[in-house]
Amino acid sequence: MSINFKHIEDKLKTEAKKLLEQGKVSIVLAYGKGYDDHHPMPYVARNAADVGNIVFNEFCTANLARYLVRYPRGTKIAIAVKAADSRAVIQLIQEDKIKRENLVVLGIPVSGMKNSKTGEIIDSKTTCGLYNPVLYDILLGKEVHGKSVISPYDVLAEYEKMDKDARWDFWKKELDKCIRCYACRKACPMCYCDPCFIDQNKPKWGEKSPESHGNLMYHLTRFHHLAGRCIDCGECSRACPVNIPLYLFHKKVAKECEEMFGQVAGMKIEDKPTLVNFRVEDSDKILE
Amino acid sequence: MEFEPKILGIACNWCTYTGADLAGTTRLSYPQNLRVVRVMCSSRINPSFIFRAFQLGADGVLVGGCHPGDCHYNTGNLYARRRLAVTKKILEFAGIEPERFRVEWISASEGNKFAEVVREFTEQVRNLGPQTKFKIEREPMPEKI
Ligand code: SF4
Ligand code: SF4
Repeated sequence: MSINFKHIEDKLKTEAKKLLEQGKVSIVLAYGKGYDDHHPMPYVARNAADVGNIVFNEFCTANLARYLVRYPRGTKIAIAVKAADSRAVIQLIQEDKIKRENLVVLGIPVSGMKNSKTGEIIDSKTTCGLYNPVLYDILLGKEVHGKSVISPYDVLAEYEKMDKDARWDFWKKELDKCIRCYACRKACPMCYCDPCFIDQNKPKWGEKSPESHGNLMYHLTRFHHLAGRCIDCGECSRACPVNIPLYLFHKKVAKECEEMFGQVAGMKIEDKPTLVNFRVEDSDKILE
Repeated sequence: MEFEPKILGIACNWCTYTGADLAGTTRLSYPQNLRVVRVMCSSRINPSFIFRAFQLGADGVLVGGCHPGDCHYNTGNLYARRRLAVTKKILEFAGIEPERFRVEWISASEGNKFAEVVREFTEQVRNLGPQTKFKIEREPMPEKI
């Protein structure tokens, strides 16, 4: 199945223009030109004249839900979302960071997005692998049918059967590469804490310079803070300049949460985030 | 010299800590490897405490709380149960032995159980040997000049 990106771009422009002209929203979050076609950037259209700058192509991978929390509460926003991004929107609504009534969600059903760094097609190996937005007001284009290549958790099998020492060596090698640029947390729609725990001085949770122990503390705690909230968009791993496969750990935590608590992040607005919820019937077995 | 594990105990004020007290007043003996920190509720425990304890040299971490349903604040330990279950999975996937981390529900009247759990857990950690993966190796203190 081939996706007509030009067609989606045109529709996006038309809808954005309409919404801005009618005054239904004050900003539209979409993609704009970067320094070349392979590097489009998030773009904020504030009036009908800006709309011409909107682009959409297969490299528009950024998760725009990241920017929703930057605007004052009550701002009317229209946002262009792909499948995983719409789950981020749902998760943010669950966490009461934004209100559904202030949003116009422009859903983009799409497959075959490409990583601008490697040119590879992005599939369920590094993301949730969904094609169609879970939540939208206006759908730009037709729903994409066809199954994801593999289940989003299949990629974990190889690491799960590793011996624990080998897994430790793997993660140590990977996390030691981290230069603590914090691009992962900047790209993540769910990392909105200010200040982030790692930036606190009292208590000081871990070393702030890039060295093994500080890196381990930062990443393990970040994985924990995203438990039951990560919607598997894979942005963190794509943003990482040293290519640490952060998505593996996030997927693993998401899988465990799904098995233990029977809930997937960002699928239903009515859900409560897993870790701020409980059931009396939760079994003690989960602690074994 | 035989390896003596260092174990951090984090106990909730209302049940486990009182249970530990009871074990003391009834003169039950249990290994001295456990250093207990008191918190007001098991849901007070930030998972980073556990990662940090391992980094600062703990060989094992034991968390104690009230039995589910008995929490002094009604639901604290029900949140803690979910949270700490995730902590355990994270430790496991990072490659550290999950047996080094344990959560037990011990009520104020279970002095016996407290002593028993500490005894058992200390043996378990002793068998695993020193925890070196997370531990921050410090430079030895310089000799006095
Ligand atoms: S942790 Fe990574 S994959 Fe998960 S929501 Fe954040 S950016 Fe997306
Ligand atoms: S983006 Fe990569 S290098 Fe930067 S802080 Fe995150 S993991 Fe480390």
